[in-house]
Amino acid sequence: MSMRRIGAIAFRIIRQFLHDKRTMALLFLAPIIVMTILQFVLNSSSSNAILAIVPPSGPAGTAIVSHLQSQFSANSTITLKILQANQVDSSLKSGDIDGALIFPSDFTQQILLGETPTITLRLSGSNPGIAKQLSGLGNLLITGFTSPAANSAAGSTSANTPILQTSYLYGGPQFTQTDAMAPLLIGLFSYFFVFLLTSVSFLRERSQGTIERLMVSPSSRTELVLGYICGFTVFALAQSAIILLYVIYILQVHYAGNPLTIFLVTSLLTIGGVNMGIFVSAFARNELQIIQFIPLLLVPQILLGGLFFPVKTLPIVLHQLAYVFPLTYANFALQDVMIKGFGVSEIWGDLIFITAFALVVAMLAAFSLRQEKI
Amino acid sequence: MAQTDPVIISGVTKRFGAVTALDDVSLSVATGETFGLIGPNGSGKTTLIRLLLGLGKPTKGNIEILGSSKRSTKITGQIGYMTQSSALYSELSIEENLQFFASIYRLYGAKQRASITQTLALVGLENRRKSPVHTLSGGMKQRVSLACALVHNPALIFLDEPTVGIDPELRMQFWDYFKQLNTNGVTIIVSTHNLDEAARCDRLGLMRFGKLLANDTPEAIKKKSGKDDFDSAFLYFAQRNDTKEQ
Repeated sequence: MSMRRIGAIAFRIIRQFLHDKRTMALLFLAPIIVMTILQFVLNSSSSNAILAIVPPSGPAGTAIVSHLQSQFSANSTITLKILQANQVDSSLKSGDIDGALIFPSDFTQQILLGETPTITLRLSGSNPGIAKQLSGLGNLLITGFTSPAANSAAGSTSANTPILQTSYLYGGPQFTQTDAMAPLLIGLFSYFFVFLLTSVSFLRERSQGTIERLMVSPSSRTELVLGYICGFTVFALAQSAIILLYVIYILQVHYAGNPLTIFLVTSLLTIGGVNMGIFVSAFARNELQIIQFIPLLLVPQILLGGLFFPVKTLPIVLHQLAYVFPLTYANFALQDVMIKGFGVSEIWGDLIFITAFALVVAMLAAFSLRQEKI
Repeated sequence: MAQTDPVIISGVTKRFGAVTALDDVSLSVATGETFGLIGPNGSGKTTLIRLLLGLGKPTKGNIEILGSSKRSTKITGQIGYMTQSSALYSELSIEENLQFFASIYRLYGAKQRASITQTLALVGLENRRKSPVHTLSGGMKQRVSLACALVHNPALIFLDEPTVGIDPELRMQFWDYFKQLNTNGVTIIVSTHNLDEAARCDRLGLMRFGKLLANDTPEAIKKKSGKDDFDSAFLYFAQRNDTKEQ
């Protein structure tokens, strides 16, 4: 294997794309435009939320629960759940609930003594839209406790309003819906545009006959695939870096983890995208056929990878299918890093899968080149 | 048949399912010779060239190129190939295309620059070296394509229909280049369906339906057929083969 030949292929690809202004524009501008639009769309939408109630002890607790249940019966966007105080954080971590309204166990006594009880609203924060929704709802509920009906439910005649104290497991009140979606979109755009670019470029290499010239040259299939990977990875990394910098500094998305870890995840994902592009191009005869692969190969990954619906809420078959896709693992890893502040040691499982995917598809791509022979 | 011949084909058959693209073809090509594979479209010329290049394996028979039946990098490094289409990177300039193909053949630095200058002079494109390929005419692209096949100074060159779609003047120039290469000891195998070009070859292989109908010098082919032109000579050998098969 000759490193200089691999370098020559990579250098040629870089030169080719530097000459192709339209492709460069697609690579760098398109994700930025789409992400800007999505920021506006997502920040004005809401979604279903699960709120846990940790009621105070005694009959007042039962009365408060039934009072809240009657209040929420008409609200289809909130589902109520009753929990013990010690179950709250584990349920938030596992994603079973989005928030919990925790009443102090002596809530009734405090009311009766004319004290001002503190109710805690513990929020997951991994979905800032839902956190915002529950936070607003919490304030509304607290205000509701000053009403005669609520006071009689709590067994009180006085009108002292409880204090609502909000705390977050991840993120905080400054996190917006864009902050939650940014990790998913960074992964998606890095993967999608690089896949598209590589598959079409490699297809062109086949259709214009240059691949035939290369295959009769001393260059091996492995050198050709590695040269392509190196050449496209330069652009894939540049694209990842530009998306990341734009998201952090221009869109001012909040993130908790190390940007280099985010860059590592997107880089590995885009290398997988490059390899998949080379492999898929073996099955296409023209650009239109490449486009036709998108609904087949990319749309399921987008739909099942957690961008629109949390993976765990998917029906069992789709849930299992989601775990076959590299985008799902990248989404998990990017969310864990950006929202929860995880480091490499906590997302290594996801990184191994994404790397393994890139390697397997690289081997398939090299194998597909062998099939070029007559 | 001398063992030193750079191309030795022995009883090669290639089948694609029920279709026999090449049927028991045997021939050899000597060093510094231009061997023309002549025949209509679908006669098996391109299939034979692709097998010689190692782009496929024969169903039966053996192919020896530059003394070896295996394609090591030592062998492939001495082969030049001009495809039917121009097969160039259209976004790159002429020079950048040549630099790339020279690098693939491990030609770097001063050697690369000297070879590119020499090859561009040969195809008459020294003044256009910085021009992007997509701005060139069809004929110029063919010249660049030839230059890419020659830039690493190969000992054996395969030219698949190199003169398709180019004007008569350029065609003449191409054949002059080929003769020039022959005098430097370069062996050329060229396929064409243009019978006018047959006389330019040192030896000819007339092909039809995957069979080698005749394999001799242009003059000997005319003499054997008793015809004055290659069209008539080709028809003579085709009819003779049909009669033999019946």
